[in-house]
Amino acid sequence: MRASDLLGAEVHTADGGRLGVVTGLRCTSDGPSTGGLPAPRVRALQVTGRHVGAALGYQQDGQRGPWLVRALVQALHRRTALVDVGSIDRIEDGTVHLSGTPD
Amino acid sequence: MKRILSVFLGVLTAIGGFVDIGDLVANALAGARFGLSLVWVTMLGVVGICLFAEMSGRVAAVTRRGTFDVIRERLGPRAGLINLVASVLVTVLTFTAEIGGVALALELATSVNYLLFVPVVGFAVWLVIWRLKFSALENVFGLLGLALIVFAVALWKLGPDWSEFLHSIVAPRKPATEDLSTYLYYGVALFGAALTPYEVFFFSSGAVEERWTAKDIATSRVNVFLGFPLGGLLSVAIAGCAALVLMPQGIEVDTLGQVGLPVAVAVGKLGLAVAILGFVAATFGAALETGLSTGYSVAQYFGWQWGKFVKPRQAARFHIVVLLSLMAAIAGVLTTADPIKVTEYSIVFSAVALPLTYFPILVVANDPVYMGEHVNGRLSNVLGTLFLFIIGIVAVAAIPLMLITAAGQ
Amino acid sequence: MTDDDTFDLRLRLLDRQVVDPDGAMICKVDDVELVPADDGGYVVTALLAGPLALGPRLPGRLGRWTVALARRWADGPDPAPRRIPFERVTELGSAVVLDRTRDQLGIARLEDWVRTHVIDRIPGSRHESE
Repeated sequence: MRASDLLGAEVHTADGGRLGVVTGLRCTSDGPSTGGLPAPRVRALQVTGRHVGAALGYQQDGQRGPWLVRALVQALHRRTALVDVGSIDRIEDGTVHLSGTPD
Repeated sequence: MKRILSVFLGVLTAIGGFVDIGDLVANALAGARFGLSLVWVTMLGVVGICLFAEMSGRVAAVTRRGTFDVIRERLGPRAGLINLVASVLVTVLTFTAEIGGVALALELATSVNYLLFVPVVGFAVWLVIWRLKFSALENVFGLLGLALIVFAVALWKLGPDWSEFLHSIVAPRKPATEDLSTYLYYGVALFGAALTPYEVFFFSSGAVEERWTAKDIATSRVNVFLGFPLGGLLSVAIAGCAALVLMPQGIEVDTLGQVGLPVAVAVGKLGLAVAILGFVAATFGAALETGLSTGYSVAQYFGWQWGKFVKPRQAARFHIVVLLSLMAAIAGVLTTADPIKVTEYSIVFSAVALPLTYFPILVVANDPVYMGEHVNGRLSNVLGTLFLFIIGIVAVAAIPLMLITAAGQ
Repeated sequence: MTDDDTFDLRLRLLDRQVVDPDGAMICKVDDVELVPADDGGYVVTALLAGPLALGPRLPGRLGRWTVALARRWADGPDPAPRRIPFERVTELGSAVVLDRTRDQLGIARLEDWVRTHVIDRIPGSRHESE
């Protein structure tokens, strides 16, 4: 898979609602370091959309690990939120489908 | 001592290299039709180019990368590509105008038809880019361009009433016989001539070619803030000469000869010869810059090795792009389109493309991730934003004005 | 972005200039290969470059044409973009620094073609400008 498959992709919640568009890929530097430098690991999608504010509750639900808390603090923009990559159910036809339901 | 000499050389080169065919034609045209009432636009343009050249030089010195490299990183490949295509088109058009300008200047010197000079000029441009060291390229043609000081000499010799002269500049009055729309159109042309996009690419890429680092920012500032305004004064001198000699006679400028006529009148044949030397140096130097700029832009967008600081075979695609744009420029002149008209179109389209070039520079110069402590200060930002606003208005007004006035008829 | 250890891939890696250990320019990071990891997330396994990598990121028809043209130029039925395994990266700063030169990576086919067929035939291509 390529980064360009994710960036710009539409993000839909499990019930088909359109959350927004992927505008960034939040990473940590804790991937395997076979070459000396640890590879970046994509942890969350930065999603921007009109309905993202309402979904903030949903993705706080999927919180995992302290790094996400710190990164969340940065994503203060009401229309932008982070969606943990673990919540991705499938990626089809340029659309990211999330599992689970918003609160 | 060596340091002072090199700074001095840098300033002189900046002065001599400031004027290109666009400035020659626009200032002479404006002076002949509007007297001194549009000099304020040239001065505004000079302030603008100083501002953005300083910024792009600083970005290049700190990031050690050229403008287009950073534009694509900051704005993304799509916006970067739109920017690239527009810039390359305008720069190649300008390149065509510059080659035409060299040929016209040689025609003026020898009375041999300018078209016959075109292949020779084209080959010479390519050869110099291929073989001459970057700093030599800049210095030789920059210093030779100082010959245009003869216009200041001519202005002095024409001995106008200086208080009236200055008054016409600071309190401009559009001539009653001209429409407002034509006045504004020539204003746009002068602005586009002073603020050509290629200048910024060339200046920043040149900074990387000459291996500038943050320590060189101070020198670059001296070159820009001393050299460019003095170069701008040469533009004003050209307009002033046209205003004093051509305007009273109702002579409109459609040839390069008419641009030089006031010098012939005021200083005689020797003066004209010096002016022609200045024309050749200024246009040839600008041809080198525009040719290199197309190569810089394309190579930097795609990440290819570029520059004259490596052997040509290590930057093969860069040199091919330069060669292809040279061929396009030569073909453009050989269509026998009037080079003066081509120059006018190139400066008007430059005015349209300006926001694409300057907006990203302002963005990058403000980004602390790239610039560290050398990020824009309050003054640069206030002036930069103000200019971006002005540039936006000019860009939007350019084409409509061109259509309304039928390109200044 | 500086006071925590997460970053945006788009800002730190994509579209960055890739250079060799001596600073010579190689390519841009036109795209990045991601592989789902067992321990969570997607790991960057390689940098991708060339028209087959950049093409899909360009809008609409232009993007499709770029990819189509690149496919014609390449050999083989299902060509892949130029691929630089992430192990080659030694530094992720203002530029992405690798531990090999462009020739050692063998990825710049257009550059090699232009150099062999055009540039090297012109006298003076091997000299530093005098």
